[in-house]
Amino acid sequence: MLQVRDGAGEMLGVLFDRYQAPLFNFYSKLTGNRTLSEDLVQEVFLRILKYRQSYRPGTPFRAWIYQIARNARIDHFRKFPREATFEPEMLPPVLPTDSAQEQQEVELLQRALSQLPEDKREILLLCRFQELKYEEIAALLGCELNTVRTRIHRALQELRKSFHQLTKSTALKQANATAAENLPPRGGSYEV
Amino acid sequence: MKCNQVAELLPDYLQGSLNPDQHRSVDAHLEQCADCSEEVAVWRKLSLLPVEQPSPMSRVRFEAMLQAYQAGRSNQPASNSHWRKLFSSWNVLGWLSSPLGAAAWSAALVASGVFVGFHSVNPPKPPSPSPELARVEAELASTKQLVVLSMLQQQSASARLEAVSFTTGDQQLNPQVLSALLHTLRYDPSVDVRLAALNALSRHSAQPQVRSNVVNALQEQQSPLMQVAVIDQLVEWHDREAKSHLEKLRQSPDLNPTVRQHADWAISKLN
Repeated sequence: MLQVRDGAGEMLGVLFDRYQAPLFNFYSKLTGNRTLSEDLVQEVFLRILKYRQSYRPGTPFRAWIYQIARNARIDHFRKFPREATFEPEMLPPVLPTDSAQEQQEVELLQRALSQLPEDKREILLLCRFQELKYEEIAALLGCELNTVRTRIHRALQELRKSFHQLTKSTALKQANATAAENLPPRGGSYEV
Repeated sequence: MKCNQVAELLPDYLQGSLNPDQHRSVDAHLEQCADCSEEVAVWRKLSLLPVEQPSPMSRVRFEAMLQAYQAGRSNQPASNSHWRKLFSSWNVLGWLSSPLGAAAWSAALVASGVFVGFHSVNPPKPPSPSPELARVEAELASTKQLVVLSMLQQQSASARLEAVSFTTGDQQLNPQVLSALLHTLRYDPSVDVRLAALNALSRHSAQPQVRSNVVNALQEQQSPLMQVAVIDQLVEWHDREAKSHLEKLRQSPDLNPTVRQHADWAISKLN
């Protein structure tokens, strides 16, 4: 039975190489959980093997694979509802970038994204990171093209507000900290 | 333009799919409106988020899963249904953390090691034909077809090139793959992919539609590289019917002189 390792296995290997990182990023940005994301990626490829007959040649393959990915996640959270929240402590570490400001922006953006409701986070991930076309997203979510546009805009609006608030409060904290550092203590207390 | 009007256009603006007039109107609004321009800025900043890489174990698990799946499919019907049941109720997380899951993965990894070791020393004998094995092979062939068809639709030219190269060694082409290759030959935007498609099709000249499509490509292709390759292919096939098409091609006023020379050479060869 081990003789059955011919071209098609390699083909699925090619698909795996191509899609495992995008799918992993989709899941990890959606759930904030690396271990779970890796498990779900495996589940997606198992389902591709099992349900490959359901793929209709000529239809967008990416949309099909993300349909499987969404279903795998929905099924998982149906079985384990307690895990269905974003784990903020699982946010990935931000790699050192050129400037401290950019690094801070990335951190705040990650936090803002994690604060979005899951459906809004998902639609932004699909169009911004998975680079699905709006038509593909409409097919995936089973809605009209205009609904996709509206939902993307609402999600972006909310992300902007959340990011704006986080930036403002961080700037305020930093300003207070700097002021506290610069002013010498007088009589055991800080002058404000 | 007001914010609510811009809101309708913004998603298409972000994807760069607005017409120039609409694009300019949105640009003009963004210069005046802090909120809308901040939205665009946030959208662009999203590209700063790090791309994470799954752990190397992910690939190992995938290989083991593939092997376990294939092994399960080629088992006897009784145990086959057991595998099916196991897979259908398989929750990866729960199953892996169970002692049974750990043992199975270990066994699969050891088996793959033994398999690789054994086969690197002794080349395998041809498999004895069995209906079950034939069925599994047919299923795997359909997976290959699926992958080729899907990869031919990829935006990346290298992916399409890879897809074409998968089919190059095939003795027989599935009708869907054949028609996808013919479409690639004629309409793929990359000349490299079109050349590869021509190469993949070269051994399938027995199919009438292959010859007719290649002959038609002679008139349609604008790239001199492609024109020369098509001419060479027709000479290789000794396709005498192509002669009139070659005559027509060399009459084209804008034809590259080298291609014209090559067409003359081909006509003399086909005489």
